[in-house]
Amino acid sequence: MKRINARQCGVLIVMCIFANKILLLPSLMFEKTSADSIFVLITLFLLDLAILPIFIKLKELYPDKKFYDILKEKLGIIITKIIYFALLFFFFFKCLLVFSITYVYFKQQIYQDEFIFMALIAFLPVINHAVLSGVRAFSRTIEMFFGIVIAGFIVCLVISLFTPISSPYFFVTSGKDFFLSLYDHIFAFGDFIILFLIMDKIELKKEQTKQLFLYSIFGIVLVVILFYLFYAKYQITAFMHNNALADLLVFSVQFNAIGRLDIIAMLTIMFITLFQMEIFNYAFCDCFVNIFPLLNKNYSIVVFDIVFCISYYVFIGKYETMVTSTLFWLPYLAIIINYVLPIIVLVIIGIVRRKIEKKDKNIN
Amino acid sequence: MKKKIKILIKMPMMIVFIIILLFFTPFAIYSPGENRNRGVVTALGIDKIDNQYEISLLTFIPTANQSYREKSSVISGKGDSVAEAVYNAQIAMGRSVGLSHAKTTVVNENLLEEDVASTIDYLSRIASLPENTVFVCTNKTAKEMLENSQDLVNNLGLKLEQIIAYNANNLYVTDTSLEAFYKGYFSPIKSSLIGYLTIEDVDNNSSNSDISSIQNSGGDQKQANNGSSGDNSSSSNSGTKKRIVNQGQAVLLKEGKKVALLDIDQLNGINILNPKSINQIIKIENVEKDGQNLSLEYKIKTKKTLISTKFENGYPIFIAQLILGLELVEINGEEEALKVNTEFSEINEEIAGKIEEQIKKQFTQSINILRECDADVLGIGREFFFNNRKEFIEFINMLGGKENVDKFLDHVTFKLNMVIQPD
Repeated sequence: MKRINARQCGVLIVMCIFANKILLLPSLMFEKTSADSIFVLITLFLLDLAILPIFIKLKELYPDKKFYDILKEKLGIIITKIIYFALLFFFFFKCLLVFSITYVYFKQQIYQDEFIFMALIAFLPVINHAVLSGVRAFSRTIEMFFGIVIAGFIVCLVISLFTPISSPYFFVTSGKDFFLSLYDHIFAFGDFIILFLIMDKIELKKEQTKQLFLYSIFGIVLVVILFYLFYAKYQITAFMHNNALADLLVFSVQFNAIGRLDIIAMLTIMFITLFQMEIFNYAFCDCFVNIFPLLNKNYSIVVFDIVFCISYYVFIGKYETMVTSTLFWLPYLAIIINYVLPIIVLVIIGIVRRKIEKKDKNIN
Repeated sequence: MKKKIKILIKMPMMIVFIIILLFFTPFAIYSPGENRNRGVVTALGIDKIDNQYEISLLTFIPTANQSYREKSSVISGKGDSVAEAVYNAQIAMGRSVGLSHAKTTVVNENLLEEDVASTIDYLSRIASLPENTVFVCTNKTAKEMLENSQDLVNNLGLKLEQIIAYNANNLYVTDTSLEAFYKGYFSPIKSSLIGYLTIEDVDNNSSNSDISSIQNSGGDQKQANNGSSGDNSSSSNSGTKKRIVNQGQAVLLKEGKKVALLDIDQLNGINILNPKSINQIIKIENVEKDGQNLSLEYKIKTKKTLISTKFENGYPIFIAQLILGLELVEINGEEEALKVNTEFSEINEEIAGKIEEQIKKQFTQSINILRECDADVLGIGREFFFNNRKEFIEFINMLGGKENVDKFLDHVTFKLNMVIQPD
């Protein structure tokens, strides 16, 4: 089986770290915790980062086994299917949220009117094709564009330095608001869960684990810098600006008349969104195929497309509804996936290791 | 060929690409140009007359010509609400309104009698008025301002936003974009500063810095008033000559309402602490030299500011050290020869004392206005918050809590130390 290497895996992680955080989240978080949102962000990232060693340990124990098979072996088929159902919803809504936020961004920036039909035609075939091609194919594509995407991201950050910025107000939030904000925005995190789903497709040597950490920290640092610069630039009005990365460019007073700079943010956001949707779509399809083993990947893609379009039109299509959902009921799902699942995995690792140790003792 | 087609068919991405091409190409070919459906608005004016809003749009309709001149016209609509007025202006224009390129937003002074944020809320939140639009107030109607601004562009190549940008860089403590207005409006102090341009009749020669004068007959300006009231009369076709006057004034706003109109001297006073604000002229009178009574004018060429804050006996003290580099620009004495005499470039103790006194007087006057209006646009409270947070919060609690944070400025003692040297 063709596998992805540690670098490609790191690149996937960076894309997942950017997911749902670089446009709307800074302003959304600001409403409750002001500039202290940076601390909320760092806390959630640290919680996320704790999942990485769990994944590495599991990978060491089961270098070639599928995550589904491990869970089935340890928890039984019913619980595994329930977990996979939760994962299926989790990644589906993540994908939908990424799309909704980017769609609204492009609607505001370019189209002014609805262009959902055009957006779906532009996005869905590409991400479907990526999923059909497999993890290795889209990981290599992302790896190829990674330098450009990161350069675009950094340019957006650097240009904001040419405009007046001053330190935002820190430590103005109560403990209660801090924890409420942690809970509210939990759905935007859980970026390392994808690794469990593709664990059998990752070629990871022991000395390469450091590389995964480096990529993760790189992605996290970029997002934290984005948050800081965004709050430093807009301060009290940060809640009014819904497209953080782009707004660092667009509303630079010095560049008032230079609209063409927007293209940097647009291209960066377009690529990042496309890659994120590919990753989440793949995760959805992988869960689907495992839940319904009789149906293959093609079916799962068709189901994804249909459900995606229906959800967009019938229910989630309303941007506000989607965003509100991330604050109300999706955090429940996120807690299960982001924290309960890794704890379950940790328990499994503990049990397996104890068994191995016992075996070793008996042999000795 | 067959082989090639077979290879192509085997590549699903290629098929998708071809389908997308087939789908979008006819759309791209047959859809009309965007300028047929959308009018590009370069400036926006808001007036309120008899409880009716009037939205004026300075629109630019791209057309082919050989003069490279933009053809702009002012189109307006009236309505009971801003949204309705925009809708009516849209009907008058025959296109949907695209505000993304609106560089300037002008409001009539009367609108500032009530919270102006509620008036522009629809425009910035729903109608995509960019936050970097320059936010200006005028004494006459905003519509007149836009009409006059066209001639400003035609005659001098000068745009409203450029005039205000100059003021913002040299006179105001902040830029006067909509963003800057909102920053002040949503701050704990709820105060902001916006630019102020006046329109005067040409007969009135009192102004000292007019920048445009035109015969405002409305002849080449399209004036479509498609109001809900059905009133099609033009509000500014008086036939009198008018001109836009920039006297470097600014409106001080508190909770979106006008609380003071600051003149250039008051703004200079506020800007004393602003290191970016230079080139101000300081005039001192009654300087004795060789038995002559002279008046000297100095220009601030360089400025360095060192600021520190502290609490003494529980009261806030704001200490600013100003290092000013001054250039003597004019000497007015009884003898003509003195006008070109440069021996006064050296600043002696007497002159330095008089300059210091002059600056302190100007600063005190400006601070008193800010105190009267509870409008700390200088960000004095912010400095204390950053430097002495604990004492600041205690002091605010002593004043009665967050609600009274705007009273903080009343209790601050200012200590200005100056180093004045020739540049």
